[in-house]
Amino acid sequence: MGMTWLSLTIGLPWLGALVVWLVGDRDEKITHTLAVAFSLAAGVAAVLLLPFGKERLVYSIPIGGVFGDFTFVVDGLGVFLAAIATVVGSLAVIFSVDYMHGEQQLTRYYAFVLFFIGGMAGLVLTSNLLLMFFFWEITALCSYALISFHNDDPKAVAGGIKALIITQLGGIGLLAGALLLYTYTGSNDFQAFLENPALLPAGALAWMGFGCLIAAAAKSAQFPFQTWLPDAMEAPTPISALIHAATMVNAGVYLLARFYPAFAEVPGWREAVMICGMLSALLAAIMAMVATDLKRVLAYSTISQLGFMVYAVGAGGVFASQFHLLSHSVFKALLFLAAGAVIHSVGTRDMRQMGGLGKDMPLTRAVFVVGGLALAGIPIFNGFWSKELILEAGLHDNPLWLYGLMLLVAGLTAFYTLRMMSMVFYGEARAGRHVHDAGNAMKAALLPLAVGSLTTWLLAGPFGHLLAESLPAHHLKAHGTLAIVEEVITAPATYLALGVVAVGLLAGWQRQRLSALGQALSGVSKAAAESFGFEAINRGVVNAAQKLAEWLRVTQPGLLNWNVFAILCALLILLASLAVGGR
Amino acid sequence: MLHLLTAVGILVCAIQAIRSRRLIVSALWLAGTSALVALELYLLGAPEIGVIELSVGAGLVTVLFVFAINLTGEEAADLKGLIKEPLAVVVSVLSIVLLGILLVPGVDRAAPSFGEASLKAVLWGNRQLDVILQAALVFCGVLGVLGLLGERESAAAEPGHSEDSE
Amino acid sequence: MNLSVPNIVILIVIGLLGVGAYALLTVRNLIKVVVALQIMVKAAMLALVLAGRLQGQENLGQSLALTVIVADTIVAVVGLALAVEVRRVVGSLDLKALTTLRR
Repeated sequence: MGMTWLSLTIGLPWLGALVVWLVGDRDEKITHTLAVAFSLAAGVAAVLLLPFGKERLVYSIPIGGVFGDFTFVVDGLGVFLAAIATVVGSLAVIFSVDYMHGEQQLTRYYAFVLFFIGGMAGLVLTSNLLLMFFFWEITALCSYALISFHNDDPKAVAGGIKALIITQLGGIGLLAGALLLYTYTGSNDFQAFLENPALLPAGALAWMGFGCLIAAAAKSAQFPFQTWLPDAMEAPTPISALIHAATMVNAGVYLLARFYPAFAEVPGWREAVMICGMLSALLAAIMAMVATDLKRVLAYSTISQLGFMVYAVGAGGVFASQFHLLSHSVFKALLFLAAGAVIHSVGTRDMRQMGGLGKDMPLTRAVFVVGGLALAGIPIFNGFWSKELILEAGLHDNPLWLYGLMLLVAGLTAFYTLRMMSMVFYGEARAGRHVHDAGNAMKAALLPLAVGSLTTWLLAGPFGHLLAESLPAHHLKAHGTLAIVEEVITAPATYLALGVVAVGLLAGWQRQRLSALGQALSGVSKAAAESFGFEAINRGVVNAAQKLAEWLRVTQPGLLNWNVFAILCALLILLASLAVGGR
Repeated sequence: MLHLLTAVGILVCAIQAIRSRRLIVSALWLAGTSALVALELYLLGAPEIGVIELSVGAGLVTVLFVFAINLTGEEAADLKGLIKEPLAVVVSVLSIVLLGILLVPGVDRAAPSFGEASLKAVLWGNRQLDVILQAALVFCGVLGVLGLLGERESAAAEPGHSEDSE
Repeated sequence: MNLSVPNIVILIVIGLLGVGAYALLTVRNLIKVVVALQIMVKAAMLALVLAGRLQGQENLGQSLALTVIVADTIVAVVGLALAVEVRRVVGSLDLKALTTLRR
């Protein structure tokens, strides 16, 4: 049974992509219906697959050669991410029915969304590193194609290219890791390697570890690659919610969590991971405090929250990081989709043009506030529990200064969340504006996510057991939900964090009065608006890649003679090396 | 001695097929190459393959060539190459020499004997996948022939079209 | 080097490959390209039969050669059909007229 659900989870979205693509742009309604049907079916299959996570179902397709077996392993870590990808994916598709209403070329849109959902599910379910690399690149391709969906908008195209090039950099790191693994173990499968990292010599292990860190940082928009994510906000908002908040950007965190047992002992690796996470969390939070574009604020906050997760993995809190990943996927998808409803209705992303929208869009406001409170880490909401667990993990035998900075980021998060909510929904309404609340399909996507933001923390216990039982190499300890709740409530660190959050909220509330302080820090805010100079570095990388491509175009004249010439030259080199080396 | 003569014949035909300025002559030299290769195959102890090569390579393919050349017309057969002549000579001669250095010494030796199954058994028994692939290939070929034939019809339907640009 | 049968055959193979490669480097007419491919494929066919003989697996080599004949014929058919179509659409058999890539 499990295998059926497994193949359906990956196969259904891909089949759907094919069907949607083949049906074509004939009738908008048919396209919408097909996409919703296939994504919902995939979501159901993934949820039905969840119980098999405990058994560690292994499903192998022998391919032979360098590829080895294409092995899929249904364990806690993979199956829950697959469930997030397909469930949030189906909600994003449902939301798109309203959001993309009347758009041209819906086929292209839905085909890529479905292709992405299947690719993401495959990425987290496979245990073949080479196959994982393929899925990794499929998600990167879909991300690029969907960011640049409005391909007549130069900003969207530039954003897509930037995301593609930067995530490719990370892809090289992953490919290098896969090649190292194959060189030393003779197989692409990483299960045996996770249980016994000593299969690789220390030097190679370190290279692989840091290669994976680069891959993860590029994919999850972490320091120093963080600037592609804000530019990716040119994508249609459901895409931002699905790919750039709930799923693809989590792939990096997933990679780190998956390989944590192998690299934890590499000297300097955990510290590097923690510092990478801390810097991303801090810098992005500061940038979120000064940004005025609603989606960019959300993008910065995504980077910041991903920084929390990366930090947690480095600190040894694999469960905490994955739990926060779950919470974050739900509340950030909610925030993005609600923001999408706002943008769809107001027609701008500039928060200074908004204000007072709460009266006209009561439902959107309600769900946005739920998501915002979860993001800020207010008790009862799911973000609170997972963030506290991360901060606690940071206290166990880890540098205290990192913990202190993360605590500061928690305060900054509360500040910018409140600033964002009040700028959009409260304050003076602008005159002469026709605003309508979210449509029915939008509501159908928003409400489950809002309920999820309130309740997913109740799953902490079962989720912990699932991870602990199916990931023997990680040596996780499982606790019941009650025990986790008790642990969080009784820990003094929680109250310290809550205090910081309260200060952040207060500062956010009274931010007009703090204008003097703001003036004093204007240098910082200016630097933040410029992404602290990393924008320039990232742009340099993108430009260099494009220049190189332009330069290499000489080698592609499209003339048979020259192509054969190149083939013959390669053959000559091969023969010459054989003739010399064979002696 | 017969081997040597055939070898010289094959190479001369091949070179003529390339050098010839007229396409139709080129195709005929190719047919000659094919026939001589069939002879060589026969001499090597593979008469079945030789016969098939003779009928298909020298027969069918040549007919197809003549067919296609009729449809496209003789043109542009003697344009100067896009790669400078000396460069092409150097690269191809170098590859021949290197291949020769690598291959020739290993060729002349006594053959081990394995006691093999018959050609039929090997062809139909051990290589079923190949047979399926060949079926697919033949299907492609049929499509190609249909393309050629369809072309003939449309060329007949629009007389003058193919002559225009000659 | 004595001119034994395998030696002669390998010389034919190498010679045909060289002629074919030279042709592919210099020829600009699409139908001539198909001729060059045919010449190279003959070399492959002979090499397979010879290899089968040298390895004592004559029948395997020959059955592979048969596959090569089939593939080779199909290549000729499809290649020629494409050439005819190109002639019709582009108006020329010149390789240079085919590329649309910017240089």
